[in-house]
Amino acid sequence: MKMILAMVRKELIDAARDKRSVMAGLYYAMGTPLIMCGLFMVLIGQLSSPEDLNINIKNANNAPDLVRYLSNNGINHADDEQANKITLTISDDYAANMAKAKPAEVLLVADNSDEKIQKSIRRLERQLQAYSAEMGSLRLIARGINPGITQPIKINVEDKATADSKGGMILGIAIFTMMYSVFISGMNLAIDTSAGERERNSLALLLSHPMSTRQLVLGKIIAVTCFALLGLILILLVSKVAYPFVPWQEIGFTVNISQDFMGLMFLVGIPVALMAATLQLYVSFMAKTFKEAQSYLTMVLFVPLALSMAASYNIAPEILQWLPVSGQQQALMDFIKGREIPMMQLIVSSVTTLIIAVALAAGLEKSLKSEKVVFGL
Amino acid sequence: MINRKFVNTTSISRLRALGLCQSATRASRWVAVAVAILLANHSVADTADTLVAAPAKTTTCYLDGLDEQFQCGKISVPENPKQPDGKQIDIHFAILPAIKNTHPDEALLAIAGGPGQSAIENAAGFDRMLTKVRQQRDILLIDQRGTGQSNILSCDDGDLNALNINEDDLDMLAITEECLAGIDADVTQYGSNIALKDFEAVREFLGYTKLHLYGISYGSRMAQLYMRHYPEALATVTLDGVVPMQQSVVAIGSSIERGLNVLWRDCKSNPECQQQFPDLVDEYNKVDQQLADAPISQKVRDPQTDEPSDFLLTRSKFTGAIRMAMYMPNLRALIPHAVNQAAQGNYQPILGIYSLTANSTGIAMGMHASVVCGEDIHRITEQMRKDAKESYISGSMLDGLEKTCEAWPTKQEDDSFSNPIDSDIPTLLLSGELDPATPPNWGALAQEKLTKSKHFIAPYATHGVAYQSCGNDLIAQLVDQGSLKEIDGQCLQKDVRRSFYLNANTVEALPIASTDTDIKTDTTAPANTAEDKE
Repeated sequence: MKMILAMVRKELIDAARDKRSVMAGLYYAMGTPLIMCGLFMVLIGQLSSPEDLNINIKNANNAPDLVRYLSNNGINHADDEQANKITLTISDDYAANMAKAKPAEVLLVADNSDEKIQKSIRRLERQLQAYSAEMGSLRLIARGINPGITQPIKINVEDKATADSKGGMILGIAIFTMMYSVFISGMNLAIDTSAGERERNSLALLLSHPMSTRQLVLGKIIAVTCFALLGLILILLVSKVAYPFVPWQEIGFTVNISQDFMGLMFLVGIPVALMAATLQLYVSFMAKTFKEAQSYLTMVLFVPLALSMAASYNIAPEILQWLPVSGQQQALMDFIKGREIPMMQLIVSSVTTLIIAVALAAGLEKSLKSEKVVFGL
Repeated sequence: MINRKFVNTTSISRLRALGLCQSATRASRWVAVAVAILLANHSVADTADTLVAAPAKTTTCYLDGLDEQFQCGKISVPENPKQPDGKQIDIHFAILPAIKNTHPDEALLAIAGGPGQSAIENAAGFDRMLTKVRQQRDILLIDQRGTGQSNILSCDDGDLNALNINEDDLDMLAITEECLAGIDADVTQYGSNIALKDFEAVREFLGYTKLHLYGISYGSRMAQLYMRHYPEALATVTLDGVVPMQQSVVAIGSSIERGLNVLWRDCKSNPECQQQFPDLVDEYNKVDQQLADAPISQKVRDPQTDEPSDFLLTRSKFTGAIRMAMYMPNLRALIPHAVNQAAQGNYQPILGIYSLTANSTGIAMGMHASVVCGEDIHRITEQMRKDAKESYISGSMLDGLEKTCEAWPTKQEDDSFSNPIDSDIPTLLLSGELDPATPPNWGALAQEKLTKSKHFIAPYATHGVAYQSCGNDLIAQLVDQGSLKEIDGQCLQKDVRRSFYLNANTVEALPIASTDTDIKTDTTAPANTAEDKE
């Protein structure tokens, strides 16, 4: 045990000496939430319809009541470039047709593929329909009919979404970035301590010490895991601070990184970090050079990340709930949406994660007994 | 808008009379809303009831017209505060949680009108109107005792709204006594001051240190009482459609007359309306007089079921329908056409308006009577009574109320109840120029001793300014800033008036009379211009 601790200490000191490359991983943990929040702030501004929506209304004189109605609902006429993206033309015979209860036509011209104005188009359509429905009702009243009859069905909707779950999509992405940080934060250290150590020719030296290969492997795994968890803690703290600054309420929900969530995320992150560390060490040792290790790792890491990514969308197939990484990701998302945590799935995926970690560690131990690996032949 | 509740005009107008009611709906959407509201059932509340066993202060619930999850709860209070161990009643409340709760120790308490409307049943309207406030603060709705789910004092008035009823034949005393017999409560305990204690108890129960108030119509009286008795619990106050403490709501008659005159004036000053209906006032008086002589009986199709029915158009139904239509800007726009048609013997528009406004059950008539009989009716002076008799609407209303109150056990509030509120809490007062219930001068009256207050008159709003204009933005600003300094009310001046209906189809200028024979207008004079100056 003592030996392992000494080993861990050695690795960490090593890591601390090469600040640049190791910190690169941790920068990810600190930078991602900030960049995401900045991005969301911009997106929210772009995607929501402005409170005062300016559009170009042509022939406004043909339908003054309609124009005032729209204006009371924040839709006004303007003649600048932005406003011209949506034009509403009132037909010349609008008033004449209206007077005879014939359809009075208005023409709405806009580019529906322009995401920036999609919401505004919907909003304008909604208001036009509301106005039309109102006039329809008044016409019925004028004929002695209760307009209530035009709505034979009253649709009552009870949405099971909670305030937290409405932000689920965003939180899914947030959890994904956290999972990602577990993998990224320790990666450089993993390469450095394996392929790097070998390249510096210090691996053989290390092995010549009176310690078992297992102790050496465990020491390295623990060191890398520590780094991965450090990255996780950092990203949790930064997220906790950064996310509340985004004006989520403008799109109708709130994103709250609670302490409970942080605790759970950390616990769930431990087996994942162990697996990430062993996986990275294993792959790095298999590679012949530092650079090669970097390329391989990038490819290998794609697998767990793809799992995590897939799980953050609701379309994910059922099976993902039981797999490592994606299983934990789904459980975390359920937790944050206020649903019951699928314990069975969480346990199975976590145990699978650990089994993979142990298997890789065993493989690592075995491979380090081979000279081929130790000397990179 | 209005009223969901229109209190109705029929007989009940006597009983329900006041009609200060507001509805929680936004005029512009009234179709959807009126329909939804008028047909609304009360499924809502029951959900909450069954769930309340848990020790938590609130439980998840759904409210009518909204699909989100809200928090509902109730507290038990003694029906009679002087007998704390006596009968207990439940006061129900609902919280519309803030989207992003930056001020967890504050909430905006929205108080419904009537008297007798349920705040919780009107949640959808409050939610829409107070969207901006809700971004950062909880909205608290409390069913005042005697309304909604809080031991409602309601009267079964089902057949009083029948199409063929003659309101003059109704015996208000008997109806009131029958209603009373069906109520299991000490009705003297349902006045505003006692109900206020419940509000304060709910606030303490939920742990809010400061409340922002929004009181609409009669709710503005509750808000003023809150300022009088618990000023330390308040951050800001908004009074909308203000009933000043000095004013008896029963004196609403002159407000109705004023509302009508404003309507005649608006039509006269509008070229299209003036051209189409040049003799509007005469026509109104003609119909009114005709009905005063004798009601008109007609075979009609029921507006809702299409069954053949007898429609007895009485003076009460006619004036009542017009009165209720004045609450909603869009329905108000139909009045000139409806009056014009009635003068020509076509009563369908009046029937349509009557049908829409009569059959609503939004007001708990028992609670209404407890409030009005204890706080308002005794403030009517001889002079006021004389004035009221001048007009049919106010005269018959006062008449009905006096009979109701004769039978209704009450505990009269003393004179100090009528003192103006003396307060330095930042207070925003909103009045609608077109309001047929609480005219702008009532707002000015309420402002008398409010040292930090601003009173804005929205030129194109009726009753419930915040629902019909940018008034709700002003509220959000007041709540956010905690002071009135930067609020100038300029946005209320924006021209958002609704054009009058010129025939049964359109609000836009009629085309120059053509050879079209299918126009069959109800018009007496062809419009000769397509230009709209409005």
